[in-house]
Amino acid sequence: MSGLAALQRSFIEAIDGEGATEWPGLEVYRNTARANLNGALADTYPVVRRLVGDAFFFEAARRYARAHPSASGDLNEHGAHLAAFLAGYEHAAGLPYLPGVARLEWACHECSRSADAGPLDFTQLARVPPVRFARLRFGLHPAARLVRSRHPIATIWQANQADRDGVPESTQGAEYVVARRENLAVRVSCVEACEWDFLAALARGATLDEATSNLGEPEATRVLGVSLARFVSEGVIAGFTPPAAEA
Amino acid sequence: MSARGIASGLSGVGIGLRAPHYAQVLEERPALAFVEVHSENFYAEGGAALAWLERFRAAYPLSLHGVGLSLGSVDALDPRHLEKLARLADRFEPALVSEHLCWSSFAGRHANDLLPLPFTDEALDHVVARIDAVQERLRRTILVENVSSYLAFAESTIPEWEFVAEVARRSGCGVLLDVNNIWVNACNHGFDAARYLAAIDPRTVGEIHLAGFERIGDRLVDTHGARVSDEVWALYRAAIARFGERPTLVEWDTDIPALEVLLDEAGKARSILARPSREARAEMAS
Repeated sequence: MSGLAALQRSFIEAIDGEGATEWPGLEVYRNTARANLNGALADTYPVVRRLVGDAFFFEAARRYARAHPSASGDLNEHGAHLAAFLAGYEHAAGLPYLPGVARLEWACHECSRSADAGPLDFTQLARVPPVRFARLRFGLHPAARLVRSRHPIATIWQANQADRDGVPESTQGAEYVVARRENLAVRVSCVEACEWDFLAALARGATLDEATSNLGEPEATRVLGVSLARFVSEGVIAGFTPPAAEA
Repeated sequence: MSARGIASGLSGVGIGLRAPHYAQVLEERPALAFVEVHSENFYAEGGAALAWLERFRAAYPLSLHGVGLSLGSVDALDPRHLEKLARLADRFEPALVSEHLCWSSFAGRHANDLLPLPFTDEALDHVVARIDAVQERLRRTILVENVSSYLAFAESTIPEWEFVAEVARRSGCGVLLDVNNIWVNACNHGFDAARYLAAIDPRTVGEIHLAGFERIGDRLVDTHGARVSDEVWALYRAAIARFGERPTLVEWDTDIPALEVLLDEAGKARSILARPSREARAEMAS
């Protein structure tokens, strides 16, 4: 190993470690590195932070950074594994909804930074013969994200926005959540379980036929007759692949 | 200077633009020669951040200032990071692209901080090759900034100012001379800041940074959390006297104050740029 490599290895190990080192000024770097990581995590997870308080949050952030060391010079990527970390974090065991809220916040973070896309092209859609509709593959907007939980994560998330008092209207019950962009702002809303399953199938590349095959008759009718148009108008669905001409 | 590609067409004073001031700057359009942003804050595929940057770019010349490329690391250059920078530079056509003369990562693990290099021949060869690679990928000259440091490696064999000057000479990159960092290091390591300025070839200086430090324990720490100190203003006067008018930036990153405070600091820099003091000229001549 070259001298430079050996020095960089021991220096980064010293930043990760604790206690005195051969470098008297090292503490400044430890503090800055920690502050930068904590700041990035706090920016991405304001609701988790509010739910647990600063002392808990920054201690969890410190342990998270040990379990999942930053692997990018882009701090936007730090925090990708926080939900999984919290799911196994013994001190968070009393807050069973916390990992789900963290998944929702990460989804919002991704939503805010994903590619732009125009609305669905209705002119193109009108060229698809009705007999082929069942084989259409609608696609989600690149910024749309789907999250579900056994806990009411969207209700908790809404109640803990900066202008709210932190008291959710309920703390029980599963929620099926869509994060989408509307005029650059991230919007979080709940949908029905059958709608969520439908969107999740579209995200996997399913045709309309395939995406409704597991739904009961009334749900399938409602999803195709009502929800699909709503998802298009909200921009959750923003594109489609026509069926192959020979099909 | 233009033969080396350092000239950016910028002249005058800009500010480091941070989120708390985005809306106000676009609304009030203060007279600024340019705005500088941290490149990584705009490493997104789309959405609000890039929409802001479009509007800044329409209103002002732009400088992209990177903090995460880890130029001096022995790790391979992160191709994803470099690609994101290249896409940003291609899309926004900034007047300047800059990074730091430091390292941040080892074996894929990032400290997300500007870590000091040992000033050795090996580090010099390495960082020059890396700057070459970045300039080749971006198809442009970049500026590289001297950083603050809180320790000196026993391994160093070259004075910091010679290291910085040599990096620019050998790679053809420009120097983003942070005079606050020079002052912080001069105090922390006990050298003469004037000697540092004297070692830097004026033809290589493409931009100057100003910021505030704070005293923490027995060290000066480059927190970017205070006004520019009197000593750093004096050093800035001396720098302008030596290097001539250079695009100058005021940065503030922690405890970010009202925009008016930054603009006030920018105004001070502007008055110095317009009229380098007689004392500073005399100082440099002596």
